[in-house]
Amino acid sequence: MAVVRKNISQNADVRDQYIQGVQLLKNEASGRKTNEFGIPGAARSVSTYDLFVIWHVTAMMLETPPGNPAGRNSAHRGPVFAPWHRVMLMLFEQNLQRLLNDANFGLPYWDWAEDGDLPPQQQSAAAIWGADCMGGQGNPVTTGPFAFSQSDPSAFRVRISTNISGELRSVNRGLRRAFGVSADALPRTAHVTHALALSPYDSPDWDADTNSFRNRIEGWMNDEGVSATWLHNLVHVWVGGEMLLGSSPNDPVFFLNHCNIDRLWESWMTRNGRVYVPDMTAGADLKGHRIDDPINSPLGRSATPRETLDVSEIYEYDALP
Amino acid sequence: METKKLATGAAPRKLSDYLTRARDKAPAHAGHGMGGAQSVREDNYRGHEIEIVTTYKILVDGKKIRAPLGVDASGQVHCHSLPNYQTASAVGMVRALIDGFPEEFERKPAPAKRQPPASHKRRPAPARKSRSAAKKGSKHEH
Repeated sequence: MAVVRKNISQNADVRDQYIQGVQLLKNEASGRKTNEFGIPGAARSVSTYDLFVIWHVTAMMLETPPGNPAGRNSAHRGPVFAPWHRVMLMLFEQNLQRLLNDANFGLPYWDWAEDGDLPPQQQSAAAIWGADCMGGQGNPVTTGPFAFSQSDPSAFRVRISTNISGELRSVNRGLRRAFGVSADALPRTAHVTHALALSPYDSPDWDADTNSFRNRIEGWMNDEGVSATWLHNLVHVWVGGEMLLGSSPNDPVFFLNHCNIDRLWESWMTRNGRVYVPDMTAGADLKGHRIDDPINSPLGRSATPRETLDVSEIYEYDALP
Repeated sequence: METKKLATGAAPRKLSDYLTRARDKAPAHAGHGMGGAQSVREDNYRGHEIEIVTTYKILVDGKKIRAPLGVDASGQVHCHSLPNYQTASAVGMVRALIDGFPEEFERKPAPAKRQPPASHKRRPAPARKSRSAAKKGSKHEH
């Protein structure tokens, strides 16, 4: 039976389970050490949660094709953006279900457009940043369940990050957030509505200059068709701190943002059909983004963009925009 | 997608096995992160083949930074160290890098001037040397 993914700001039980699940994942040793992933320095145990940080960084490093000037990689800046993140979220959700011992747990989403409709100066006071939810901002964050405490070894810590070259590195510090510093305000409902009105999922040249649904929700182009930080990207940049980096899954808000992006994709498919482009007639330059190409994931050939189009047996959303 | 395959693939061991294999394919381990990333843009115009090769050399406070900047066909600058940014200029991207990686741009405090050891301070002033002794001392310094 499909689980139901719900709005974290409106469902206290799901919110509390999500927080508990993240903490359990963060404290579960994966059985691997940092040196096995080429991370310099003393070998340290890697948690299951941090495997998702490593996965995101690694996916960005895999350019498709290598050296392409558009910066397209196996998870971003191209058509596979939505399917790759759908697979990532499903594997994350499976792990949360396992540790919570609750097969009915559905990953919650953050409907950031609700908060984006507030005046900019009120957005950082939205319910999601409360001490009973994701906590607030700071370097380090000092409120909420992921607050840092130097003397408390069980406090939430960032253990794997990236350097300026984008390479993985070991760290040991608190979570960082800086609301509204690098962007003034969150996306609004009107921006979501405009994105959903775009009928092509994606189109040539399949990059950050394309006026397509995928490119709009990924956030490389605004409603006027001009290059801008938008929707998904704007949420990352507005939250700031950890969310600016390739290691952005370090912030548990990452998964709530992407769950909402996945919800928008699901909404788009209810309007336009379960369709995806490019198909397999596209050239090798788009290898990794075509409908039957394996998505870079542990699922191998069983996870392709086509396989992600209908997940109705796995999960559904309580409400679509 | 089959739920059973999903559950199998989600196992931490399966995910970590995949990641160790994927790491070997990532270009960062072949020098991508050495600041040598190049963008090659190609176009055809009136029968002419255009190729533009861009390599950035970036200094901040006189120090070379190793950020893999690239530029796309429309001239927008990107950098996978900051995957959610795209800027109209490389200067804009470097400013974003300074905000995103503050510890990499921290100015090291200037080394403090050497103070004579406390025991020297307390030592009484040496007796005046004769002119010839002073000369000898100055020679010795050379």
